Amino acid sequence: MTDPTLIRNFSIIAHIDHGKSTLADRVLQLTHTVADRDMQEQMLDSMDIERERGITIKAQAVRVMYDADDGKTYQLNLIDTPGHVDFTYEVSRSLAACEGVILVVDAAQGVEAQTVANAQMAMNAHLEIIPLINKIDLPAADPERVRHEIEEGLAIPADEAVLASGKTGEGVRDALEAVVRLVPHPVGDPEAPLKALIFDSYFDAYRGVVALIRVIDGSVGKGVKVKMMATSTITDVEEVGVRRPANMPVDVLGVGEVGYLITGLKDPALVKVGDTVTLARHGATEQLPGYREAKPMVFTGLFPIDGDQYPDLRDALERLQLNDPALVWDPESSHALGFGFRVGFLGLLHMEVVKERLEREFDLDLLATAPSVEYHAYRMKGDMVVVHSPQDMPDPGHLDRVEEPYLKATVLVPPDYVGAVMELADQRRGTFKDMQYLSATTVELHYEMPLSELIMDFFDQLKSRTKGYASLDYEYIGYRTSQLVKLDILLAGKPVDALSFVVHKDKAYARGKVLTEKLREIIPRQMFEVPIQAAIGAKIISRETVRAMRKDVIAKCYGGDISRKRKLLEKQKAGKKRMKSVGSVDIPQEAFMAILKVDE
Amino acid sequence: MGQAIGGQGPIGGAPGFTVPWNEPPRVPLPKHLYVHVPLCRSKCSYCDFFSRADDGAVSHTELVEATLEMLRGWLEPTVRRVPLETLYIGGGTPTVLGDDLVTLVRELTTIMPLAEGAEVTVEANPESVSPELLASLVAAGVTRLSIGVQSLDDETLRLLGRCHDAATALDVVRAALGAGLEVGADLICGVPGLSHDDWLRTLDAIVDAGVQHVSVYPLSIEAGTPMAEAIAEGRLAPPDEDATVAAMDAAAEVLTARGLDRYEVANYAVPGHESRHNTAYWTGWPYLGIGGGAHGMLDGEQARALGLVPPDETGIVRVRYGYAADMFPMRLEKSLSAFETMTAPEALREDAMLGMRMTRGVADELAELAGARGAMESLVADGLVVHEGGRWRPTERGWLFGNEIFARIWGAVE
Ligand SMILES: Nc1nc2c(ncn2[C@@H]2O[C@H](COP(=O)(O)OP(=O)(O)OP(=O)(O)O)[C@@H](O)[C@H]2O)c(=O)[nH]1
Ligand code: SF4
Ligand SMILES: [Mg+2]
Repeated sequence: MTDPTLIRNFSIIAHIDHGKSTLADRVLQLTHTVADRDMQEQMLDSMDIERERGITIKAQAVRVMYDADDGKTYQLNLIDTPGHVDFTYEVSRSLAACEGVILVVDAAQGVEAQTVANAQMAMNAHLEIIPLINKIDLPAADPERVRHEIEEGLAIPADEAVLASGKTGEGVRDALEAVVRLVPHPVGDPEAPLKALIFDSYFDAYRGVVALIRVIDGSVGKGVKVKMMATSTITDVEEVGVRRPANMPVDVLGVGEVGYLITGLKDPALVKVGDTVTLARHGATEQLPGYREAKPMVFTGLFPIDGDQYPDLRDALERLQLNDPALVWDPESSHALGFGFRVGFLGLLHMEVVKERLEREFDLDLLATAPSVEYHAYRMKGDMVVVHSPQDMPDPGHLDRVEEPYLKATVLVPPDYVGAVMELADQRRGTFKDMQYLSATTVELHYEMPLSELIMDFFDQLKSRTKGYASLDYEYIGYRTSQLVKLDILLAGKPVDALSFVVHKDKAYARGKVLTEKLREIIPRQMFEVPIQAAIGAKIISRETVRAMRKDVIAKCYGGDISRKRKLLEKQKAGKKRMKSVGSVDIPQEAFMAILKVDE
Repeated sequence: MGQAIGGQGPIGGAPGFTVPWNEPPRVPLPKHLYVHVPLCRSKCSYCDFFSRADDGAVSHTELVEATLEMLRGWLEPTVRRVPLETLYIGGGTPTVLGDDLVTLVRELTTIMPLAEGAEVTVEANPESVSPELLASLVAAGVTRLSIGVQSLDDETLRLLGRCHDAATALDVVRAALGAGLEVGADLICGVPGLSHDDWLRTLDAIVDAGVQHVSVYPLSIEAGTPMAEAIAEGRLAPPDEDATVAAMDAAAEVLTARGLDRYEVANYAVPGHESRHNTAYWTGWPYLGIGGGAHGMLDGEQARALGLVPPDETGIVRVRYGYAADMFPMRLEKSLSAFETMTAPEALREDAMLGMRMTRGVADELAELAGARGAMESLVADGLVVHEGGRWRPTERGWLFGNEIFARIWGAVE
């Protein structure tokens, strides 16, 4: 057990790509936690999907031992967090295990939307904030301007901000010195019964559920009987240890320490993130505050392409949820796609990541339908129906009104692009609230807008209309009534439920038209003509036709061609298999996402 | 033994050479032989066949010798030769070899003697055929010339990058007929810029010239060819699907009206003048293929006798092999680049699939053996196939959607 005065617990937080994981790499090196020859870039981004996309998705805790200038050796528990807005929930959970943060700001990009959002989270949690201006090696670095932005925009004193480069390693020692000096050491009662917060967990095929914990009071070691307070589950501790970054068993975790706990429990439902671990006998009586549950914002249907994989998909979702507590789902069935699940996500990137992880880690082939939000449909008779899927929208004849979720959207952008942002927000039913200069170079705009508009490639549009300068953050503010209608798509005269979507009445016509045009391009020519129609109720509002293919024949087939042509046919067939046959029409997967790409 | 397992081809082979009483019985080799000559005068703009320009880099005599050596490579003591029913020398453009082609034919038929009434076809392109060459080929035993006419519109020939004009092509056709050869002409339809009327004129003119056989191929744009590049760069319009279909329909109409019946997706002949060699491909008969890039097919017994599959692999009833496309000279075992074995159900499905390329289609019996009955019925429901007189045959629409037919039959069992 380490003397708590020699422990510092902190998270590294920032806007996406400002260099958190690279900075963590340098810390691992400087403290000799990882030998130089074992070092790789963004070491803590251990999932394939993180390495491929070059972003952090999961927060990662790691312990390092730091020999400080004062001659003492400190135990630093640092958590590298993701920067993308979809994973804000990971950041908030990490902060609960810390007393301080390093707020990283890119010296060229300056303060961006998640810099503001994450800094505010740290302030609300009353954590010590150490500003760090990163990437000072870049030719475009402008630390003075950025220092200014931090002070004016975030109201955080920055004259002592650490100047650093995760690339060259410059300033990294200064950062750790600042942590030792400024971040308060953990305070707890070593004599009190154990109280530890589960701030993350994952499933290990051999060991069962592995909980990541932060000890508040008391201590925990192997062989102790503990209780998970929320579920009242009592179990023996098989192992405790620390991550360096590989798991390393230790005898005991004491006040202020961060580490992992293995109990042998295999049921994900019994070890909940946010729960408090205490002793089975004479344990604590009061739980730690825990976390607010993450609220899923977008919902999409996930269907196994091969219907037999339905049970596998359910198992996979359960396993994945352990590592991703924000994931929620309900069974769903579709005429077109069969049995699947309606899954709720924190955002579009979260959705993409989960789909990809399910496919990869659990060897599934999935089809996703276009994301939609959660509508509240109030019927004439006074009750309310929660609509996660457009196909569940009650008949218009019975509807009193429909409410949809609204967001407060914050856009940070250089002054030159304010006009472009306003134009886009206007097209997306945004209501302008206010605007302020964070500095001479950065304007902050606030809008209220429907979430449904935001998930329609709003972010891509924002980026492209501002040459990449704008950054976006948003938070949920509540439900509001809107004039919404359900639009159905008919292929060859038959409605395809999985293609239906909900849209504002004033936009229905334009969206229907663009979508039918888009589908005409996406759906391959088939042996028969395929009419594509968009309809509101019984009224057809637009129509396109995929012309019939005129011929499809390998005309030349002699001795040498036979094997080759047979393989060609097999390849064509495999291509068809990746499409979904609805009635007689083969629909490629991207058709179900086409609605997201219609920019009117 | 050497018999098509779909049972569609002619049954049995002529008896081979006398086997001494004390030797184990030898397995007869196929009675169809394909020889590939991978040279052309120059490369056409649409071509992705395995051939190269005859620029002197490959010596004709060495090419002939290497080809013969490949054939000798098959004559293992475990097999015996049977008289060839058909020999096809294709390319490329075999006629660029000139007198060396005559030598090749003579030597090939010395190694593998011809059966009585054998069909011996040479592929020819108009720019490399002379009356003298025709006479020598006839004297060497050639019975049939397949000429790459492609079009009788000079503008189209230029676009295709052909190195001959329409007049030359017609002269060669007439000369070949005059020399006593059966003549087939290859035509390409759907070439951008070729009007429907010009296409009809080409069809009429070629039939007027007296050919007994016509093959019609829609222009297909193959990746990596100069034509594909021209289209990608916008210098050339891509083939128009409607115009191509109209041209294919017109070919069927005109040729049939003028006495050339359609017997396969792309092939028309005066009855009795169908290509026997190509028919062997579509009816499951084994054939040897030699030359760079050439392919062959053997039955299980032949493959086992030649050591291409182990003797105990009796589940294999068919082997398809291919020579590497760019190896000269080559040795059999070193240069096989493609090799595929098939079980009886696979071979039956393949026979059923290939059978549906032909007007005569597939007999009930084969469809049943191939497990393709369900597929056939679904094709009938979609109007691509008819079932009459105990046979399944493609309809007019079926000719245009052959791939749908082939894919469903091939996928019948999975
Ligand atoms: N020039 C320069 N590039 C850097 C520096 N630090 C990071 N980068 C680069 O910036 C990019 C993002 O770095 P990461 O460390 O993955 O950023 P991150 O903040 O962890 O990103 P997320 O976890 O996705 O939010 C990578 O291409 C790094 O190589 C630096 O100090 N100087
Ligand atoms: S003649 Fe035939 S093989 Fe030779 S280049 Fe032209 S199309 Fe190709
Ligand atoms: Mg990162």
